Amino acid sequence: MTDRLARAIFWVGTLASLAVFLAMTVETHRSFDALTHADAIDDRVVAGKRAFERHNCNDCHTILGFGAYYAPDLTRAYKRLGEDGVRRRLEAPEVVFSASYRKMPQQHLTRAEVEDTIAFLRWVSNIENHDWPPQDSANRWKHSTERLLASASMSPAAALVQQEGCLGCHTLGGAGGDTGPRLEWIGGRRDAEWVARYLADPQAVSPGSRMPAFPKLSEGQRLMIGGFLVSLAADRRAP
Amino acid sequence: MTVAYKSQRIAYAYFALALVLFALQIAVGLWVALQYVVTVPQAVVDAFPFSTARAIHTNLLVLWLLLGFMGATFYLVPEEAERELAWPRLAVVQLVALAATGVTAIVGFLFGWMQGRPLLEIPTPLDFVVVAAALLFLANVGVTLLRARRWNAVQGTLVGGLVFLAVMYLFGMPFYRNLAVDWYYWWWVVHLWVEGAWELVTAAIVAFMLIKLTGVERRIVERWLYVELGLFLFTGIAGTGHHYYWLGAPRAWLWVGGVFSALEPIPILLMLWDTWRATKDGEGSSSGADAREGTLQPRLTWIYIGGMAVLHFVGAGLFGFAHTLPQINYYTHGSQVTTSHGHLAFYGAYALLNLSFFYFAIPRLKGLPGGRYDARLGHWGFWLTSLGVVGMSLAFAVAGVLQTYLERVRGEPYMVAQQPMRFWMLVVFLHGLVVFAGVLATVVHLLTLKPERAVQAVPLPVTGPRRAVGSA
Repeated sequence: MTDRLARAIFWVGTLASLAVFLAMTVETHRSFDALTHADAIDDRVVAGKRAFERHNCNDCHTILGFGAYYAPDLTRAYKRLGEDGVRRRLEAPEVVFSASYRKMPQQHLTRAEVEDTIAFLRWVSNIENHDWPPQDSANRWKHSTERLLASASMSPAAALVQQEGCLGCHTLGGAGGDTGPRLEWIGGRRDAEWVARYLADPQAVSPGSRMPAFPKLSEGQRLMIGGFLVSLAADRRAP
Repeated sequence: MTVAYKSQRIAYAYFALALVLFALQIAVGLWVALQYVVTVPQAVVDAFPFSTARAIHTNLLVLWLLLGFMGATFYLVPEEAERELAWPRLAVVQLVALAATGVTAIVGFLFGWMQGRPLLEIPTPLDFVVVAAALLFLANVGVTLLRARRWNAVQGTLVGGLVFLAVMYLFGMPFYRNLAVDWYYWWWVVHLWVEGAWELVTAAIVAFMLIKLTGVERRIVERWLYVELGLFLFTGIAGTGHHYYWLGAPRAWLWVGGVFSALEPIPILLMLWDTWRATKDGEGSSSGADAREGTLQPRLTWIYIGGMAVLHFVGAGLFGFAHTLPQINYYTHGSQVTTSHGHLAFYGAYALLNLSFFYFAIPRLKGLPGGRYDARLGHWGFWLTSLGVVGMSLAFAVAGVLQTYLERVRGEPYMVAQQPMRFWMLVVFLHGLVVFAGVLATVVHLLTLKPERAVQAVPLPVTGPRRAVGSA
């Protein structure tokens, strides 16, 4: 190895990599607006991003997978928890996580900060990032529920979910509203008995919830819905 | 042996502050780890949340490593330029400014005064103080070298790395409206620091130490320096793409990031081989070898240099490679797997680099004969800290694999997946205690370095003739 060759390796290596990197940077900036739906970034979303930074959310949570690993990833939190789920966690974390072995600080956000942060997380949840994270992948939900939706006509619990209008607030598979958490996600964390108790009186289980009570359903019907949600949960419960 | 230039002595103040901050960083780290294991009451969480402790832990890391780099620069530049630093007093002003910024930032964090972007939490007004201090630093070094008009590859690499480092910091300062754009440039600071600018600084400092310790020919060291740097920058710059897989950027990054970053272990391996070769050459040369024991001296300094080369390769090279390919990273991204890699890589590459340089420079700054010192406590420090960090990284890795499998592959909810990880975070914490003991030993040892006892005891005539045989 001569000195000249060594220098050539240095300059060619550095400049080649730099050229690739800068070309990719130009290309990335051309794509960002479409992939991140930048047209949807309004003042509310920007104010939400500022609130997110002011309260240092990112030093416990990851977002787009970046940040600290002490709390769940927020990329798809809006879709997973629903608007009401996010709001309740921001307003009253000490209530929502009272039974959890890990707490979230009560930072006394103003009403505007809460709504701004929700707007920010709603915008983030639509970023097209090659379907990451896997645990919130729309494809995964689709696969895990397709089978069950196919058999819904034979399932009395599925019929109850339809009849009581659960999908007005919750999402199941590819359909439903954004107010409450995804039904498959609930089943992964709770058992049928918990769901039955919750349906009877949401306030007793989780004070401050916006979920309406379903006292008119029989205990058996509520348990049936609970069992149905648990069966939706994750791949592990599939045959 | 003592230093040739008076202004080199300013380095000691930088090293001493860096060491104190290092110990503080580990103490805060213990509390960070413990929060994964025990249930912290809501009142404590409200007053001192995990996020604040983590911000302190990471910012102390960055601050002490940068102070170490700056001190090393102030030590190295006069010797390479063969003249005193242009403005020694300015170096003191700079240290005071940085120390004050650090204290203000950490106290500010406790009261919620922060920008809230991981690792770059310090608020914008403090950013400007850091920039001012960096400009003072670069001006001081630059003017010294300009006046000396003696250029060589070691200086060039060092200054190039420092300017690169300072320029990249600027990309972390603005407020970005778009989160994806924000993270895109966040990595210009963080990745291009640790896998770009800091590697330049490391390569320069290691080359300088090897030249001084072994007496190997400068031309050969510098030739390999060019090759290593070419490969570091070739793989490292475009390798930034391994952070751009999932942030809302084009799919082409999966190829660019995957291919370039898969090559990143190669230059580190070359550096490992280069260090090994230099030790062999050093053992054969008259200035580096110690004929009495047939090994390089001082032994502990060499253990540090060897430990750095090995753990740099394992932590940054192997642990990094393990999850850099997009097919794997899709499942491991943002999990404790990253923490495992982060801890071993930062320790192996940059903590050990700084400590190696401290063990090289402090005996000289204190004027200890032959750059030798009484090393007993220092050996404890090295082994406790290194084994502790390796064990901790393995425990993080187990936790990370559990998380990846349970949460990412099986789709369990986050907190359900965290439950079985708690045991492994306890293992992390216990290793943290070992690390803390090791760091305390190292800090105390370095700040109270004493002359070697053996050298004083062995009469000169005994070593004289045998040394001559050894070098023949």
